[in-house]
Amino acid sequence: MDAPLYPPSAAYEAPVRVPYAVTTANTSIKQLLADPATKAILLQEIPGFEGRIGNEQLKPHLDNFSPRSLVQFGLFKADALDRVDAQLRALPGKGDAK
Amino acid sequence: MSALGTSRRDAIALAAGTAVLPLIAATPAAAAPVAAPAIGLGRDQAFDLDWRFLRGAGSGLEAVGLDDASWRKVDLPHDWSVEDVPDGKRPRQIGPFDRDAVAGTATGYTQGGEGWYRKHFRLGALPVEARVALDFDGIYDLSEVWLNGKPLGLHVNGYTPFTYDLTPHLLRDGDNVLAVRVRSLGRNSRWYAGSGIYRSVRISVLPTATRIAQWGVGSWTRRIADGKAIIDITVAVENSTHGLTLTNRLRNAKGRVVAEAHGTADALAKQTLSVAAPHLWSPAAPTFYTLETELTRGATVIDRMVQPLGIRIVTMDAKRGMTINGDRITLRGGCVHHDNGLLGAVAFPEADERRVRLLKARGFNAIRSSHNPASSSLRAACDRLGMLLIEESFDMWHVPKLKDDYSNYIRDDWQNALRAMVLSARNSPSVIMWSIGNEIPDRSTPEGLEWCWKFANEVRRLDPTRPVTAALNGVLGAPVIASEKAARPGFAGKVDEASTVFLDVAGYNYRLEDIAADHAAHPERIIWGSETFPTDAWDYQRMVERAPYFLGEFVWTAMDYIGEAGVGATARIKGNVPFYLANWPWVVAWCGDIDLIGQQKPQSLVRDVIWGLSPLAMLVQRPIPEGQKEFIAPWGWRDELPSWTWPDATGKPLAVRLYTAGDRVDLLVNGTSLGTKALTPKDKGIAEFAVPYAPGMLEGVAYRGGKQIGRQRLETVGAAARLRLTPEPGAARAGRHGLSYVGIELLDAKGRVIPEGEVAVELAVSGPARLIGFGSANPFAVGSLQSSAAKTFRGRALAILRATGSAGTVRIEARAAGLQGGTAMIRMA
Repeated sequence: MDAPLYPPSAAYEAPVRVPYAVTTANTSIKQLLADPATKAILLQEIPGFEGRIGNEQLKPHLDNFSPRSLVQFGLFKADALDRVDAQLRALPGKGDAK
Repeated sequence: MSALGTSRRDAIALAAGTAVLPLIAATPAAAAPVAAPAIGLGRDQAFDLDWRFLRGAGSGLEAVGLDDASWRKVDLPHDWSVEDVPDGKRPRQIGPFDRDAVAGTATGYTQGGEGWYRKHFRLGALPVEARVALDFDGIYDLSEVWLNGKPLGLHVNGYTPFTYDLTPHLLRDGDNVLAVRVRSLGRNSRWYAGSGIYRSVRISVLPTATRIAQWGVGSWTRRIADGKAIIDITVAVENSTHGLTLTNRLRNAKGRVVAEAHGTADALAKQTLSVAAPHLWSPAAPTFYTLETELTRGATVIDRMVQPLGIRIVTMDAKRGMTINGDRITLRGGCVHHDNGLLGAVAFPEADERRVRLLKARGFNAIRSSHNPASSSLRAACDRLGMLLIEESFDMWHVPKLKDDYSNYIRDDWQNALRAMVLSARNSPSVIMWSIGNEIPDRSTPEGLEWCWKFANEVRRLDPTRPVTAALNGVLGAPVIASEKAARPGFAGKVDEASTVFLDVAGYNYRLEDIAADHAAHPERIIWGSETFPTDAWDYQRMVERAPYFLGEFVWTAMDYIGEAGVGATARIKGNVPFYLANWPWVVAWCGDIDLIGQQKPQSLVRDVIWGLSPLAMLVQRPIPEGQKEFIAPWGWRDELPSWTWPDATGKPLAVRLYTAGDRVDLLVNGTSLGTKALTPKDKGIAEFAVPYAPGMLEGVAYRGGKQIGRQRLETVGAAARLRLTPEPGAARAGRHGLSYVGIELLDAKGRVIPEGEVAVELAVSGPARLIGFGSANPFAVGSLQSSAAKTFRGRALAILRATGSAGTVRIEARAAGLQGGTAMIRMA
């Protein structure tokens, strides 16, 4: 049995981003709010959205959490996010990207 | 670690292999406290005793001529945040807790601030070329050190070990004055971090400038095959010169040399040891060898380092999971912060070992040191007792979580921090992974990705023998593809996710539902549950049984801790109130399986069942008043107890839950059956009954396949009658670091613990020890953690004694009004 090795790599190069379909599960709140089109959908479907994420402890994590990942903490309801996702799917270049 | 011999003759004798290197001579027992040993030639000599301390800010307090006689005498390790608030007044200050503390719930309403330490010391006669270095295992938070009024440096990471060379400013034949300024300012931590020199300090006196570098010996089991183990050793030598010889010698537990290599010592020397019929290290059998690394010039030993070595190979892959020495092992892990409960942040070796022992007893085989490098004493306990350890470097990178946190320093200090974490711990067989961060904000942004690569790559450069991981919450970022230059070997050109692309192993915080789906999308990904909710233990166990790519879970948290007050709160709220926000007087997180004094909480009893340590746990829900509901925080647990003493509930239905690995349970009250319930996988091992409360005996029985596998009884207890004191076994109780833990129980006349008994207890201690901690697991601010008076909580309290260094018998007596008191006698070594 030989022990594995985890050698360093040669140099940093920024990874290439791959287009993907935006959903409330796979995209961070920060990203969703940065785009006027997706932000409008969130604010329309979830009244008081920005108030719910105003907690000082949560603020640093807005680029880590998607709305869907906060359902387990009781911040959002799954059915509201389903409605958001339905509208995101219809957004050209966002919800329909592959 | 070793000490060098005290004379050149000793060193020569050692080189010839004719004598065992003598340790620094122990000081004979004397009246308390016993004097600290003298400082002579040698590595890693204790430097913890006889410091002076001033809590408060000041300028010029490093001055040599300052009269510090009025400063308080302290022995290290020391944490001033756990001491009573100076001049504190109830109700806003209670013990160490201050409702107005700037960090609020994060640090459990404890205070930081500024403190100063001073120590006077003299050295024996030293060779002209002798070098003296001081090793701090950790100071929280910012520290500045002066020797004889001359600044040695500023250290900005509260958890990493560091060294100062004292030589240039040392008075070789006079009184040396060391001064340490420590500041823990503003809001710098999300949990209780303590304040002060809370980890050990050691001094090394070496005969020449040529020496083995700090953390300069790295050992690695490269191969185990054909009945032997091949161990590669690298040794960094400072100020190396011609004519040096390096010897690495491996001894077994009996002291017999089982492998040895000699060669020329360069600045970086490499040697290989071959060990026949090796005894391998594993959590089940943590077998040790001792590695002696010797630097000699001619016949003279000029430096020598001795450290434990465990021979083991750890592998991880998505198809087989994790193996140690070829055997698959699943991680039964717990996250822990670094505090030692009632003692605060202080890292006593015996306190750290007790934590590991308590966790081993509950089936844990792994600890995540969240979110910082562990103390050397915790790591040593993990090595000794067979507890796997994941070391973690950072809780944040470039983006702050709190205004005053380490993000203010990381851009300049990250290489120091990673070097200290990795090199100081790389020889510990318990360490299986390096985590470069916890729930890092903005980790998936372009800047975050670059930091991630830098940190991961630096760790691999320092130690390419262990995988790099991080604990990831929420979402993992956009799909990305890494280039050949930047990618991990074998992963260039493959679609990954931003948060995982540069990690060897992905830690998932609370992402239970994503594990299987992510595996389907990324079949090569190795996943561990770096933080999990206690209530998900059943699901994680099923996951680990069916999914080899999932290594196991680490519950948040294995043990309770001060700070993050009430994140595991359970509370009763009115029906129309959506949630409960814990704050003052909550001061403890209350999310631990094990409480602040080492007792099992309900979730631990249930985990015993899920992990197969127990066939049955029976818990009773505390009655919820009409019009109210129970709020359970995500890290919390139902307010249920192993109790059948509910004096206000006679005749009312109580929810009784039986947790079992069986397929059927029976429940009886006072011998009368209340029925049987069959369990299906959908029940996740829980059978619930509504039982009208009647004092007496509640009895649960569990069956599997028609065979009884467990039986448990809960009895209604009587009124409190007496106290019982029970010293915990296992402590060495030697020297001035020796500790003794004494459990205090509130009993009824039949000797049964009162499940919710709260009485005021007064302690008296006599003999060669002093009381340094006394309190309960109560998660609220209820009193001092260091005075001789405290209240029991759930029928228990805990006293912690520190030895004064003399041998003898300590008598501890507990009294409570109207009750028969208790005593215990403890023999101090």
